[in-house]
Amino acid sequence: MKRLCLMLIAAGGCLLVQAQTNTGGTLPTARGPTLISSASADFDLAGHEATYHGHVHVDDPQMNLVCEKLVADVPEAGGHVNHIVAETNVVIDFTDTKGQTNHATSDKAVYIYEEQGGATNETVTLTGNPQIENAKGTLTGDVIVWDRLNNHMSASNQRMVFRQNFSGLMSDTNPPPAASPPATTNSPPAAAENPEPDTK
Amino acid sequence: MSAAANITRAWLVAGAAGLSAVALGVHAQTAGHATDFTTTEYFEPPHQQQIKTILSGAEAQPQPGGLLIIKQLKLEKFGVDGRLECVVTAPECIYDTMAGTASSGGHLQLQNGDGKYRVEGEGFLWRQTNSLLTISNQVRTRIENGAKTNLKP
Repeated sequence: MKRLCLMLIAAGGCLLVQAQTNTGGTLPTARGPTLISSASADFDLAGHEATYHGHVHVDDPQMNLVCEKLVADVPEAGGHVNHIVAETNVVIDFTDTKGQTNHATSDKAVYIYEEQGGATNETVTLTGNPQIENAKGTLTGDVIVWDRLNNHMSASNQRMVFRQNFSGLMSDTNPPPAASPPATTNSPPAAAENPEPDTK
Repeated sequence: MSAAANITRAWLVAGAAGLSAVALGVHAQTAGHATDFTTTEYFEPPHQQQIKTILSGAEAQPQPGGLLIIKQLKLEKFGVDGRLECVVTAPECIYDTMAGTASSGGHLQLQNGDGKYRVEGEGFLWRQTNSLLTISNQVRTRIENGAKTNLKP
Protein backbone atom coordinates (compact mmCIF):
# COMPACT_ATOMS: atom_id res chain seq x y z
CA MET A 1 0.00 0.00 0.00
CA LYS A 2 2.78 2.37 0.96
CA ARG A 3 4.61 1.58 -2.24
CA LEU A 4 1.52 2.25 -4.28
CA CYS A 5 1.03 5.53 -2.48
CA LEU A 6 4.59 6.58 -3.24
CA MET A 7 4.17 5.75 -6.91
CA LEU A 8 0.99 7.75 -7.07
CA ILE A 9 2.70 10.68 -5.43
CA ALA A 10 5.53 10.49 -7.93
CA ALA A 11 3.11 10.29 -10.83
CA GLY A 12 1.08 13.16 -9.44
CA GLY A 13 4.17 15.25 -9.06
CA CYS A 14 5.08 14.49 -12.62
CA LEU A 15 1.72 15.64 -13.85
CA LEU A 16 2.07 18.80 -11.84
CA VAL A 17 5.47 19.54 -13.30
CA GLN A 18 4.36 18.70 -16.83
CA ALA A 19 1.38 21.02 -16.56
CA GLN A 20 3.55 23.85 -15.39
CA THR A 21 6.23 23.41 -18.04
CA ASN A 22 3.65 23.87 -20.77
CA THR A 23 3.19 27.46 -19.73
CA GLY A 24 6.82 28.30 -20.47
CA GLY A 25 9.35 29.63 -18.01
CA THR A 26 10.69 33.00 -17.15
CA LEU A 27 13.61 34.34 -15.26
CA PRO A 28 13.62 37.67 -13.53
CA THR A 29 14.34 40.38 -16.06
CA ALA A 30 17.22 41.73 -13.98
CA ARG A 31 19.35 39.08 -12.34
CA GLY A 32 22.15 39.84 -9.98
CA PRO A 33 25.75 39.19 -10.94
CA THR A 34 27.44 35.81 -11.01
CA LEU A 35 30.67 35.64 -9.04
CA ILE A 36 33.40 33.06 -9.65
CA SER A 37 36.42 32.65 -7.42
CA SER A 38 39.28 30.20 -7.72
CA ALA A 39 42.88 29.65 -6.77
CA SER A 40 44.13 30.23 -10.32
CA ALA A 41 42.87 30.51 -13.87
CA ASP A 42 43.94 30.36 -17.50
CA PHE A 43 42.38 32.60 -20.12
CA ASP A 44 42.61 31.84 -23.80
CA LEU A 45 42.05 35.32 -25.15
CA ALA A 46 42.02 34.07 -28.74
CA GLY A 47 39.67 31.19 -28.04
CA HIS A 48 37.53 33.18 -25.62
CA GLU A 49 37.70 30.50 -22.97
CA ALA A 50 38.47 30.61 -19.25
CA THR A 51 39.65 27.66 -17.16
CA TYR A 52 39.46 28.01 -13.39
CA HIS A 53 41.48 25.73 -11.16
CA GLY A 54 41.37 24.92 -7.46
CA HIS A 55 38.60 25.57 -4.96
CA VAL A 56 36.27 27.01 -7.58
CA HIS A 57 33.21 28.72 -6.13
CA VAL A 58 30.35 30.07 -8.21
CA ASP A 59 27.82 32.31 -6.52
CA ASP A 60 24.86 32.85 -8.78
CA PRO A 61 21.45 34.35 -7.95
CA GLN A 62 19.93 30.94 -8.66
CA MET A 63 22.55 28.60 -7.30
CA ASN A 64 25.89 28.12 -5.63
CA LEU A 65 28.41 25.73 -7.14
CA VAL A 66 31.67 24.32 -5.85
CA CYS A 67 34.14 22.21 -7.85
CA GLU A 68 37.84 21.81 -8.56
CA LYS A 69 37.90 22.75 -12.23
CA LEU A 70 35.57 24.90 -14.26
CA VAL A 71 35.78 25.79 -17.95
CA ALA A 72 33.60 28.62 -19.25
CA ASP A 73 33.43 30.63 -22.42
CA VAL A 74 34.21 34.30 -22.14
CA PRO A 75 31.28 36.23 -23.58
CA GLU A 76 31.74 38.83 -26.26
CA ALA A 77 30.36 42.30 -25.71
CA GLY A 78 26.62 42.03 -25.31
CA GLY A 79 26.82 38.26 -25.18
CA HIS A 80 25.98 35.60 -22.65
CA VAL A 81 28.01 32.83 -21.07
CA ASN A 82 26.75 29.92 -23.14
CA HIS A 83 28.78 26.97 -21.96
CA ILE A 84 30.24 25.99 -18.60
CA VAL A 85 31.75 22.66 -17.60
CA ALA A 86 32.39 21.96 -13.92
CA GLU A 87 34.43 18.93 -12.99
CA THR A 88 35.59 17.03 -9.91
CA ASN A 89 33.61 16.99 -6.70
CA VAL A 90 30.84 19.14 -8.06
CA VAL A 91 28.38 20.39 -5.44
CA ILE A 92 25.43 22.59 -6.36
CA ASP A 93 22.99 24.15 -3.93
CA PHE A 94 19.94 25.88 -5.31
CA THR A 95 16.55 27.06 -4.19
CA ASP A 96 13.53 26.37 -6.36
CA THR A 97 10.62 28.68 -6.96
CA LYS A 98 8.82 27.33 -3.89
CA GLY A 99 11.76 28.19 -1.72
CA GLN A 100 12.77 24.57 -1.31
CA THR A 101 16.50 24.03 -1.04
CA ASN A 102 18.15 21.35 -3.16
CA HIS A 103 21.60 19.85 -2.80
CA ALA A 104 23.14 18.25 -5.90
CA THR A 105 26.41 16.36 -6.26
CA SER A 106 28.12 14.79 -9.26
CA ASP A 107 31.47 14.27 -10.92
CA LYS A 108 30.63 16.64 -13.74
CA ALA A 109 28.08 19.32 -14.50
CA VAL A 110 27.54 20.98 -17.87
CA TYR A 111 25.64 24.25 -18.16
CA ILE A 112 24.29 25.20 -21.57
CA TYR A 113 22.50 28.39 -22.53
CA GLU A 114 21.19 28.67 -26.05
CA GLU A 115 18.72 30.73 -28.00
CA GLN A 116 17.20 29.08 -31.05
CA GLY A 117 14.26 30.31 -33.07
CA GLY A 118 13.21 32.76 -30.41
CA ALA A 119 13.21 30.11 -27.70
CA THR A 120 15.70 30.02 -24.87
CA ASN A 121 17.05 26.88 -23.26
CA GLU A 122 19.10 26.84 -20.10
CA THR A 123 20.04 23.46 -18.68
CA VAL A 124 22.45 21.89 -16.23
CA THR A 125 23.32 18.25 -16.94
CA LEU A 126 24.82 16.22 -14.12
CA THR A 127 26.80 13.05 -14.86
CA GLY A 128 29.06 10.80 -12.83
CA ASN A 129 27.10 9.58 -9.81
CA PRO A 130 24.65 12.46 -9.91
CA GLN A 131 22.36 12.96 -6.95
CA ILE A 132 19.89 15.62 -5.94
CA GLU A 133 18.59 15.77 -2.40
CA ASN A 134 15.90 17.94 -0.88
CA ALA A 135 13.51 17.83 2.02
CA LYS A 136 11.24 15.40 0.22
CA GLY A 137 13.80 12.84 -0.85
CA THR A 138 16.79 11.94 -2.97
CA LEU A 139 16.97 11.50 -6.73
CA THR A 140 19.79 9.58 -8.40
CA GLY A 141 20.33 8.34 -11.94
CA ASP A 142 22.87 7.94 -14.71
CA VAL A 143 22.20 11.45 -15.98
CA ILE A 144 20.12 14.18 -14.37
CA VAL A 145 19.09 17.19 -16.43
CA TRP A 146 17.90 20.32 -14.70
CA ASP A 147 15.93 22.69 -16.90
CA ARG A 148 16.59 25.96 -15.11
CA LEU A 149 14.03 28.03 -16.95
CA ASN A 150 11.19 25.66 -16.17
CA ASN A 151 12.63 24.43 -12.88
CA HIS A 152 12.11 20.92 -14.16
CA MET A 153 14.28 17.83 -13.77
CA SER A 154 14.58 14.62 -15.69
CA ALA A 155 16.78 11.59 -15.16
CA SER A 156 17.73 8.41 -16.91
CA ASN A 157 17.70 5.18 -14.92
CA GLN A 158 16.32 7.17 -12.10
CA ARG A 159 15.95 5.99 -8.55
CA MET A 160 14.10 7.94 -5.92
CA VAL A 161 14.19 7.65 -2.17
CA PHE A 162 11.38 9.53 -0.48
CA ARG A 163 11.51 10.72 3.06
CA GLN A 164 8.65 9.72 5.29
CA ASN A 165 7.42 13.16 6.29
CA PHE A 166 5.35 14.16 3.29
CA SER A 167 3.85 17.11 5.06
CA GLY A 168 4.03 19.19 1.94
CA LEU A 169 2.63 16.62 -0.45
CA MET A 170 0.17 14.84 1.81
CA SER A 171 -1.20 17.61 3.92
CA ASP A 172 -4.43 15.74 4.65
CA THR A 173 -2.79 12.72 6.16
CA ASN A 174 -1.09 12.09 9.44
CA PRO A 175 2.66 11.81 9.05
CA PRO A 176 4.13 8.35 9.61
CA PRO A 177 6.35 7.68 12.61
CA ALA A 178 9.57 9.61 12.44
CA ALA A 179 11.61 6.53 13.28
CA SER A 180 10.54 4.71 10.12
CA PRO A 181 13.29 4.07 7.58
CA PRO A 182 13.12 5.93 4.28
CA ALA A 183 11.02 4.38 1.58
CA THR A 184 12.70 3.37 -1.65
CA THR A 185 11.01 2.96 -4.95
CA ASN A 186 11.84 2.68 -8.59
CA SER A 187 9.46 5.03 -10.24
CA PRO A 188 7.22 3.69 -13.00
CA PRO A 189 8.25 4.21 -16.62
CA ALA A 190 5.74 6.99 -17.00
CA ALA A 191 7.59 9.01 -14.43
CA ALA A 192 10.99 8.64 -16.04
CA GLU A 193 10.84 11.93 -17.86
CA ASN A 194 9.75 13.91 -14.85
CA PRO A 195 11.03 12.22 -11.74
CA GLU A 196 11.14 15.25 -9.52
CA PRO A 197 7.94 15.17 -7.51
CA ASP A 198 7.75 18.84 -6.87
CA THR A 199 10.29 21.28 -8.12
CA LYS A 200 8.12 24.35 -8.46
CA MET B 1 56.35 33.73 -33.89
CA SER B 2 54.23 35.96 -36.10
CA ALA B 3 55.67 38.87 -38.01
CA ALA B 4 53.20 41.17 -36.34
CA ALA B 5 54.31 40.09 -32.90
CA ASN B 6 57.92 40.67 -33.88
CA ILE B 7 57.01 44.14 -35.04
CA THR B 8 55.39 44.86 -31.71
CA ARG B 9 58.45 43.71 -29.83
CA ALA B 10 60.70 45.77 -32.05
CA TRP B 11 58.63 48.82 -31.31
CA LEU B 12 58.84 48.18 -27.61
CA VAL B 13 62.57 47.72 -27.60
CA ALA B 14 63.06 50.81 -29.69
CA GLY B 15 60.81 52.83 -27.46
CA ALA B 16 62.59 51.76 -24.33
CA ALA B 17 65.90 52.71 -25.83
CA GLY B 18 64.63 56.14 -26.51
CA LEU B 19 65.02 55.83 -30.27
CA SER B 20 61.47 56.17 -31.43
CA ALA B 21 59.95 59.05 -29.59
CA VAL B 22 57.95 60.15 -32.57
CA ALA B 23 56.87 56.75 -33.79
CA LEU B 24 55.61 55.71 -30.39
CA GLY B 25 54.08 59.00 -29.49
CA VAL B 26 56.30 59.37 -26.50
CA HIS B 27 55.54 62.64 -24.82
CA ALA B 28 58.55 62.83 -22.59
CA GLN B 29 61.53 60.66 -22.17
CA THR B 30 65.00 60.44 -20.83
CA ALA B 31 67.74 58.23 -22.15
CA GLY B 32 66.53 54.61 -22.05
CA HIS B 33 63.30 55.58 -20.41
CA ALA B 34 60.06 56.00 -22.32
CA THR B 35 56.84 57.42 -21.00
CA ASP B 36 53.29 57.38 -22.23
CA PHE B 37 54.04 54.96 -25.00
CA THR B 38 51.68 53.07 -27.25
CA THR B 39 52.37 50.23 -29.62
CA THR B 40 50.01 48.75 -32.15
CA GLU B 41 49.94 45.26 -33.56
CA TYR B 42 48.03 44.46 -36.75
CA PHE B 43 46.50 41.26 -38.01
CA GLU B 44 48.30 39.31 -40.62
CA PRO B 45 47.10 39.47 -44.26
CA PRO B 46 44.45 39.71 -45.51
CA HIS B 47 43.44 41.76 -42.46
CA GLN B 48 46.68 43.68 -42.17
CA GLN B 49 44.79 46.95 -41.96
CA GLN B 50 42.95 45.87 -38.83
CA ILE B 51 44.38 46.49 -35.40
CA LYS B 52 44.85 43.34 -33.35
CA THR B 53 46.22 44.77 -30.11
CA ILE B 54 47.15 48.10 -28.63
CA LEU B 55 49.66 47.96 -25.84
CA SER B 56 50.23 51.11 -23.84
CA GLY B 57 51.92 52.12 -20.65
CA ALA B 58 52.79 55.13 -18.58
CA GLU B 59 56.43 54.19 -18.33
CA ALA B 60 58.88 51.66 -19.77
CA GLN B 61 62.22 51.09 -18.11
CA PRO B 62 64.67 48.80 -19.95
CA GLN B 63 66.46 46.13 -17.97
CA PRO B 64 69.29 43.74 -18.82
CA GLY B 65 68.43 40.70 -20.86
CA GLY B 66 65.84 42.32 -23.05
CA LEU B 67 63.44 42.99 -20.22
CA LEU B 68 61.23 46.03 -19.79
CA ILE B 69 59.55 47.16 -16.64
CA ILE B 70 56.24 48.62 -17.75
CA LYS B 71 54.07 50.66 -15.44
CA GLN B 72 50.34 51.20 -15.89
CA LEU B 73 50.12 48.53 -18.53
CA LYS B 74 47.03 48.49 -20.70
CA LEU B 75 46.45 45.90 -23.38
CA GLU B 76 43.45 46.16 -25.67
CA LYS B 77 42.62 43.24 -27.93
CA PHE B 78 40.38 43.64 -30.98
CA GLY B 79 38.63 41.26 -33.30
CA VAL B 80 39.04 41.26 -37.06
CA ASP B 81 35.80 43.22 -37.27
CA GLY B 82 37.33 45.98 -35.16
CA ARG B 83 35.25 45.24 -32.12
CA LEU B 84 36.97 45.53 -28.75
CA GLU B 85 37.23 42.02 -27.31
CA CYS B 86 39.00 42.56 -24.03
CA VAL B 87 41.10 44.94 -21.98
CA VAL B 88 43.87 43.89 -19.62
CA THR B 89 45.37 46.34 -17.14
CA ALA B 90 48.08 46.01 -14.54
CA PRO B 91 49.90 48.58 -12.41
CA GLU B 92 53.25 47.05 -13.29
CA CYS B 93 54.75 44.13 -15.15
CA ILE B 94 57.94 42.86 -16.69
CA TYR B 95 57.86 42.42 -20.43
CA ASP B 96 60.35 39.98 -21.89
CA THR B 97 60.99 41.21 -25.39
CA MET B 98 62.77 38.00 -26.38
CA ALA B 99 60.20 35.55 -25.10
CA GLY B 100 57.18 37.70 -25.81
CA THR B 101 55.81 37.37 -22.31
CA ALA B 102 54.60 39.79 -19.68
CA SER B 103 54.48 38.83 -16.05
CA SER B 104 54.07 40.24 -12.60
CA GLY B 105 53.45 39.16 -9.05
CA GLY B 106 51.04 42.02 -8.67
CA HIS B 107 47.47 42.86 -9.46
CA LEU B 108 45.78 42.39 -12.82
CA GLN B 109 42.36 43.19 -14.21
CA LEU B 110 40.72 41.76 -17.30
CA GLN B 111 37.37 42.61 -18.81
CA ASN B 112 35.56 41.86 -22.01
CA GLY B 113 34.44 44.45 -24.53
CA ASP B 114 31.35 45.69 -22.71
CA GLY B 115 32.80 45.33 -19.21
CA LYS B 116 30.14 42.88 -18.08
CA TYR B 117 32.71 40.12 -17.62
CA ARG B 118 35.43 41.28 -15.27
CA VAL B 119 38.30 39.34 -13.73
CA GLU B 120 40.96 40.31 -11.27
CA GLY B 121 43.69 38.44 -9.51
CA GLU B 122 47.21 38.50 -8.18
CA GLY B 123 50.22 37.41 -10.19
CA PHE B 124 50.04 36.71 -13.91
CA LEU B 125 51.85 35.53 -16.98
CA TRP B 126 50.77 36.61 -20.43
CA ARG B 127 52.12 34.75 -23.45
CA GLN B 128 51.82 36.92 -26.48
CA THR B 129 52.37 34.20 -29.07
CA ASN B 130 49.21 32.28 -28.22
CA SER B 131 47.27 34.94 -26.31
CA LEU B 132 47.22 32.87 -23.13
CA LEU B 133 46.89 34.64 -19.81
CA THR B 134 47.45 32.80 -16.55
CA ILE B 135 46.42 34.37 -13.27
CA SER B 136 48.17 32.62 -10.43
CA ASN B 137 46.31 33.61 -7.28
CA GLN B 138 43.03 34.84 -5.87
CA VAL B 139 41.10 34.88 -9.11
CA ARG B 140 37.75 36.65 -8.86
CA THR B 141 35.31 36.98 -11.74
CA ARG B 142 32.14 39.05 -11.84
CA ILE B 143 29.62 38.47 -14.61
CA GLU B 144 26.83 41.00 -14.93
CA ASN B 145 23.75 39.11 -16.02
CA GLY B 146 22.12 42.28 -17.25
CA ALA B 147 18.49 42.73 -18.09
CA LYS B 148 18.04 39.64 -20.16
CA THR B 149 14.56 38.23 -20.40
CA ASN B 150 14.51 34.51 -20.90
CA LEU B 151 11.08 33.63 -22.21
CA LYS B 152 9.92 30.51 -23.93
CA PRO B 153 7.09 30.87 -26.45
